[in-house]
Amino acid sequence: MVVATLVSVCVIAAMACFLLITAVKARRLKNLPLHSRLELYPVPKEGGGRAKYGGSYFEEVEWWAKPRSIDKVSETREILMEMLFIRKLFQNQRSLWWASWGFHLGIYVMFAWTALLVVHAFWAPAALSWLATAVGVLGFVTATLGALLLLLRRAFDKTLRKYTTPQEYFNIVFILSVLLSGIYCWSAIASPFAVANGVLHFSGQDLPWQVVIHVALLCAMLVYIPLSKMSHYIGKFFSFHKVLWENDPNLPGSHVDQRMHAATSRRPQTSWSAVHVNPPKTTEE
Amino acid sequence: MSVSDKTLMPKDISRPKAVLSPIDSLAPLPAPYHDVGAEPGFRAMKPACAEEHCASLDGFVALDGLRRPQSKKEEDEFVRAFVSGVSKIFADSNNNFLQPLHLTMDYCAKCNTCSESCHIFASSNGNEVYRPIFRSDILRRICKKHLTASGRLLGGFVGADIDVNWESIARLGELAYRCNLCRRCAQTCPLGLDNGMIAREIRKVFSQEMGIAPTPIHSKGSMIQLKTGSSTGLSKGALLDTLEFIEEDTEEKTGRKIKFPIDKKGADVLLVHNAGEFLSWPDNPAAFAILFDEAGVDWTLSSDMLGYDGVNYGVWYDDAQARKIALGQFAAARKLGVRRIVVGECGHAHKASAVSADRMAFAEDKVPVESCIPVLADLMQSGRLKFDPSKNDFPVTLHDPCNIVRQMGIVEPQRTILRAICPQFREMATPGVDNYCCGGGSGFALMNSYNFSDFRNKVSARMKFTQIINAFADEFENPDIIKCVCAPCSNCKGTIRGVFEFFEATAQYNVHYSGLVELMVNALASMSRPYLTFEPEL
Ligand code: SF4
Ligand code: SF4
Repeated sequence: MVVATLVSVCVIAAMACFLLITAVKARRLKNLPLHSRLELYPVPKEGGGRAKYGGSYFEEVEWWAKPRSIDKVSETREILMEMLFIRKLFQNQRSLWWASWGFHLGIYVMFAWTALLVVHAFWAPAALSWLATAVGVLGFVTATLGALLLLLRRAFDKTLRKYTTPQEYFNIVFILSVLLSGIYCWSAIASPFAVANGVLHFSGQDLPWQVVIHVALLCAMLVYIPLSKMSHYIGKFFSFHKVLWENDPNLPGSHVDQRMHAATSRRPQTSWSAVHVNPPKTTEE
Repeated sequence: MSVSDKTLMPKDISRPKAVLSPIDSLAPLPAPYHDVGAEPGFRAMKPACAEEHCASLDGFVALDGLRRPQSKKEEDEFVRAFVSGVSKIFADSNNNFLQPLHLTMDYCAKCNTCSESCHIFASSNGNEVYRPIFRSDILRRICKKHLTASGRLLGGFVGADIDVNWESIARLGELAYRCNLCRRCAQTCPLGLDNGMIAREIRKVFSQEMGIAPTPIHSKGSMIQLKTGSSTGLSKGALLDTLEFIEEDTEEKTGRKIKFPIDKKGADVLLVHNAGEFLSWPDNPAAFAILFDEAGVDWTLSSDMLGYDGVNYGVWYDDAQARKIALGQFAAARKLGVRRIVVGECGHAHKASAVSADRMAFAEDKVPVESCIPVLADLMQSGRLKFDPSKNDFPVTLHDPCNIVRQMGIVEPQRTILRAICPQFREMATPGVDNYCCGGGSGFALMNSYNFSDFRNKVSARMKFTQIINAFADEFENPDIIKCVCAPCSNCKGTIRGVFEFFEATAQYNVHYSGLVELMVNALASMSRPYLTFEPEL
């Protein structure tokens, strides 16, 4: 009873932690100061058909005097292709793409499965049970196969091995342990519907120890992912949208202009030491 | 691939070894250069010079300002300064790069997708030290060890396994100058990360904190520019003399009289060249003068401090230098009261003033900057310039300077021009934003200390030379056919000139290079004599 209630609390707390830490990290990245322009073409939001060949507004004479043509559809399509299909990996390293895409697809499907389990806990028509079961099986199989292939590739590819740290192996093994314990629990020990139902309704029903271990691992993973490098789902948004595709010019009255003026109130406190660099004035000066 | 490459790992950067990873294999060039063994070899560093600097990475020296410490105290100070500099790239002293830096440092998946896109890595047949993530991962591991609690607590488990000492730091400094900052690798990264930017951050640590940078780009480059107005050392008086000479020479050679407008207040256009053009390729500023005059552009040159040299070497290695130069250039334009700055054929000057400097000054303190290429295309398309393409009836291919194309998105206007004026225009393989760097990017074109030019000619420019040979296919080996590479960038031209000399391509196979405007003037209907004579370089 106590253990079951604790599991309920832990699952909800872990999910909340996942979301909260993700939000804090995203906010921290977002609040970093305005950076120098580092765009790299093609920039998919460039309108007028330019995104296709990598052109930009710099191709126009007196570009600053003309309205900018922004193609939101192309930008959205491009980021979706990256998120859903990891297109750059597909184009540039097909052999790794199969494992990586399988793994990421599996994770996405597992999120859908989790959502279906939550719905099922409150509304449980038979069709939903079938659907959730099918989605769960697909998610577990693709994510596990993908993770296994990634681990094997990392262990046996001479180049990847040189650059992979023990922590990075640990990350994959950790996820695999959650997936494999999940497969074992939900196929041999308990029904995921019954457990989800119990956890979400705080029913206090006893849980098999195998399920408790799996859920504990799952909770730890939910907290660990946003703290670790595996939070690259946050970083990827910023590196594309806010760095490589960010080519907004600093024109009078633009948002860049406003951010630059706003930044003048915060003077850097650290200065460089080489003699040719003029150190910024400190507040004491 | 050298034996050491097969096992070399980032932590080996501190391994005591005379040369950590020598280049002992090169990608073959196409015929007629397919016999790698027939190429002039690499010149070895003299032992005394190798000892004085750091030649222990791959046998080359780029950082001629880096000197081996003479005592333990000096080495300790060197290490301290480096660690201090590394901490500053993560502090508010580096506000303008914090976000991209954190992203690349924190999120690399070590997937190795970026390696194959790097021309230096490919040309060296995969020399491990040139792998784009090799240098980034060294910096990452050093940061972990020295700047993070997880690194101090968990050590090697989280990759905090690199010892900092003279050898590892000096090699990392050299390694930052084995990257052209072309950012082709960043284009392929599934996470949008940028190893070129990391190479530049390492250069910044060396320059901004430790005061160490290659002489041609710092003390004889940006410092000279800030002192005299031009990195060439060309003073105002010398500039005026040079322009006068170009006017006379142009009239003598072409029969066309030109007059450079200088310091014309309130002109529509301030044309800013790479001042190297005045000295090395005077036909280029002269061609601009011919085209702008014929099209009736209201333009001027500036003779003011920083107003006549568009280069900004700071964008390669030092934010403070870049900012000082950019602000000086804007001030010169404002003083003349021009409506816009048009940048001549210099790739890094394009990016420096239009992109990098865009957020260095408030909007109201700047003058709008644009590339000469769309301006020229517009003059042609609007009928203000008339051409006879039969005058350019020889094979022409186009090199896309990384700064103008991949990093600014100016892709089509130069093609529109070349398709109209060069009947035998053909693309190189992987054109446009997917181009390969000429091999001279980020300062390499100017760096000739010790044996560094061998690295440029044989390694970093190898891919471009391959593309050039392939673009001309069967015609390449026929010396009766003039072939021309259009390279609208001074640094790219300098690199291509060096490679053509090194491989005797002009002398043996009649292959040349040219800027875009020279080809335009050559095809100009109103010109009575050919503008391009394709004489061998002296
Ligand atoms: S920026 Fe260019 S030269 Fe540097 S590592 Fe990337 S691809 Fe190679
Ligand atoms: S492609 Fe990107 S994530 Fe992969 S190794 Fe290169 S920099 Fe890292």
